[in-house]
Amino acid sequence: MTNSAVKDVFVMIKQVPDTRSKAGLNPDGTINRAQAKRMLNPFDEYALQAALNVKKQTGCRVTAITMGPPPAIEILYTALEHGADRCYLLSDRRLAASDTLATAFALWKTIEHLNGFQMIFCGLQTTDGDTAQVGPQLAERLNLPQVTYCEDFEVVGDKLHARRVVEGGWQRVVSELPVMVTVANSYHPLEFKSLRGARMVQELMRNEALRSQYITTVDLDVVGADPDLTGLKGSPTIVAKTDKVGSIGGNCAMHQGQAVEALVREVTLQTNLLEFAS
Amino acid sequence: MTDTDQTTPPQEAEPNKPVALNANDPLGEVWVFCELQEGKVQTVGLELLGAGRQLADKLDRPLAAVVLGHNLGEIPRQLIHHGADKVYKADHPDLAEYRTLPFRRVLCDFMGQQAIPPHSMLLGSTTTGRDLAPRIAAHFQTGLTADTTELDIGPYDHKGGSDASKIGLYENCLYAIRPSFGESLKARILGPWKNPQMATTRPGVMIPLDPDPSRTGEVVDMPVHLQPADFRLTIAETVREATAGVDFDNADVIVAGGYGLANADGFALMKELADCFENGTVGASRKAVDLGWIPYVHQVGQTGKTVRPKIYIACGISGAIQHRVGMQNSGLIIAINKDPDAPIFKFADHGIVGDLYQVVPEMIKQIKSSKGSKEVSSVGV
Repeated sequence: MTNSAVKDVFVMIKQVPDTRSKAGLNPDGTINRAQAKRMLNPFDEYALQAALNVKKQTGCRVTAITMGPPPAIEILYTALEHGADRCYLLSDRRLAASDTLATAFALWKTIEHLNGFQMIFCGLQTTDGDTAQVGPQLAERLNLPQVTYCEDFEVVGDKLHARRVVEGGWQRVVSELPVMVTVANSYHPLEFKSLRGARMVQELMRNEALRSQYITTVDLDVVGADPDLTGLKGSPTIVAKTDKVGSIGGNCAMHQGQAVEALVREVTLQTNLLEFAS
Repeated sequence: MTDTDQTTPPQEAEPNKPVALNANDPLGEVWVFCELQEGKVQTVGLELLGAGRQLADKLDRPLAAVVLGHNLGEIPRQLIHHGADKVYKADHPDLAEYRTLPFRRVLCDFMGQQAIPPHSMLLGSTTTGRDLAPRIAAHFQTGLTADTTELDIGPYDHKGGSDASKIGLYENCLYAIRPSFGESLKARILGPWKNPQMATTRPGVMIPLDPDPSRTGEVVDMPVHLQPADFRLTIAETVREATAGVDFDNADVIVAGGYGLANADGFALMKELADCFENGTVGASRKAVDLGWIPYVHQVGQTGKTVRPKIYIACGISGAIQHRVGMQNSGLIIAINKDPDAPIFKFADHGIVGDLYQVVPEMIKQIKSSKGSKEVSSVGV
């Protein structure tokens, strides 16, 4: 186990507003970020499980890395509870309004600041950005091969054997290490946290000295990132305008307040639905 | 080795060099990446040529199709018939199937050698486009907007912000428009400070031009200088099983289930309804997929497939903007939901307010009992 080619695995995770709970949702469906609950990006759960599965297989060390404001430490606790070995929080006010390119730049510098790795796992995408861009942008900066949409994999010797989703099917690929992998949500869901991990996190939430052994907070100066290349300044894109779209339409013929049979009858009579019956 | 062209030395484009500021610089071309699958141009590439044609006409610049593959044959001509003024092609055995690093090498080398970089570059939001576009954007440190639903060209007056060097009036910006997160909003995203301005667009959103065989254009070879590092990943096997279940493109009717199904078993009912139709198939909202009720290949919406069936039956789907952009071009939308205020009723054509577990079985019953009378009624049509 210990002579595996894989010694260090990084998993990149993000805290996002919790859209599963009603809290922080305005009546019109927009988000009140100040009141919204926070959670680990659901796609990152698969990435975390992927990293932990490599740990099970090879005994490697798992490092969870996030970028965000100080409350983002919550998701690092989650990573530790599930079995991550150490965490880094990149937190800096100058990172505000970073787009995907600026985010990938800051994460690249953070990764360079740490000692080497053989695999980097990212979630397929985030639920708040929905772009799926940061993983490949990070791989470009690090000059790595990449396996995106990965739904299963195995480390075989010094190679990654992976299965990825493609249009209408799947593909098996073999990649050299180091490699960047984005994990699809058809991968194994995150397992339950370990009792040992949960106890340890309870302990280090109380004990700052212990906490600092597991969680290191860094800023742009520590990782040596040029602040002009990240944040708003380092972002080549901006959101220039937003339009409401919710009020469009209103021509829906509503069928309600009758017996189900009558409701369905109205629809089958008023549409061409039956023409397509087999 | 894999070099086919020894005349020009391989050239790594300088990643940190700003490609262009378009306030004063000459306008570049519009590039559309046309992906192939098993040697055939994918529909999304033709759709993007349709969208790109409009952008190029507004800019009064050429539209170039970019295609990489092997044994391309008539493909460049096909792309010209669909609206391209130029085709940049790379035809090489090592490009026969898409792989990130070789494709990235050829494209970044070629783009880096352009005296005037392209104004904009469009790719499909497919597993290929979403894999490749961020690599190119990061290489040239240029802006990329994911999953756009509308594209346009227009001016932008940047008045302020933390960076004085960005202030100014920019003509001819790419407007990359996409739904924004969890909100019933559309965001217009701009990045006029550097070219190319890049965007990915979901399949099924843009409209391809009718092919015009009288159109002519220029075909240019892109040099292929692959390096050993480009072969760090190999493909062992690719399996397409589109026929084995989810064929949205040929479906007349899609029956889609969402969170309102309450459990995975609800999809058996969706399947039962879909099977009542000659060409029916099952779709799903992202929430249902995220909950593990049904595989990802069934997902309709911004992060799934964009579909255009003749009839779309949405069962227990609230109608979030992310779902809507994937199915709003359906011929007829029938929504079934318990909640009369569900957003889906804002854009459906027919809405049934009720418990889908009562409505859908009743619908199945009525469709099945109509079969006998079907022949009679179709005579009259």
